[in-house]
Amino acid sequence: MTTRATSGRPLSPHLQIWRFTATMAASITHRGTGIILYGGTMLLAAWLFFLEFHPPTFSAITGFIKSPVGFIMLSGYIWALCFHLMNGLRHLYWDSGRGLAPKTATRTAWFVFIASFVLAAAALWAGVAARGAFNV
Amino acid sequence: MSKKGTTTFIIQRASAVLLMPLAAWLMFSLIVYVGAGYEAARGWIANWVNGLLFGAFIIIGAWHARIGMAEIITDYIHSWLKDILLFVNWLVALCAIVAVAWSVYNISFAG
Repeated sequence: MTTRATSGRPLSPHLQIWRFTATMAASITHRGTGIILYGGTMLLAAWLFFLEFHPPTFSAITGFIKSPVGFIMLSGYIWALCFHLMNGLRHLYWDSGRGLAPKTATRTAWFVFIASFVLAAAALWAGVAARGAFNV
Repeated sequence: MSKKGTTTFIIQRASAVLLMPLAAWLMFSLIVYVGAGYEAARGWIANWVNGLLFGAFIIIGAWHARIGMAEIITDYIHSWLKDILLFVNWLVALCAIVAVAWSVYNISFAG
């Protein structure tokens, strides 16, 4: 805290001071999904790197992704991608100066939450169905 | 780091716009190919269109992620640790970008 006093810059509000609202939940979830995507995208980079440079490690990764825990992690990544993408659209809309009224922001927050699960489920269903169709 | 705010703001938004169609393509493709075996995955990336799209997603995504993570770090870390974390954050993104660019080049274009 001493550094804060010396730098004189304001401190971001911490999570525990907020009363629950849909907009606050969407904001926190945007950060949370951002962190999930950070980790997942680095893992994807590693996946590709080992595909080229170390096939045995690649096979170990593939084995893990095929396991139930791996599938849950993949599903979580897909959902995080859906949420962050759609809430990102909401942010871009705000950047244009629109959609900021509390009523509108609350409605779009709920929409993004619900739609993220629907889109993730649709992508998972389509992807798993296509595995069979493409013989992979 | 000072006086770069506007540029960073614009890069974060521009990368977000580029990532949207890439993410839509990727979320479907990932489920199909990420659990697939070596041959199937190799064949998928060997098609240069897939290699380019996958590479673009990771490269643009890594930079977008770096900006977002830097924002979180500067929001909550105010000690000497801040600069170290910002550097590590930058290094992680750079490593991912180099590794992916190199891999895509080898699999999709040099193979």
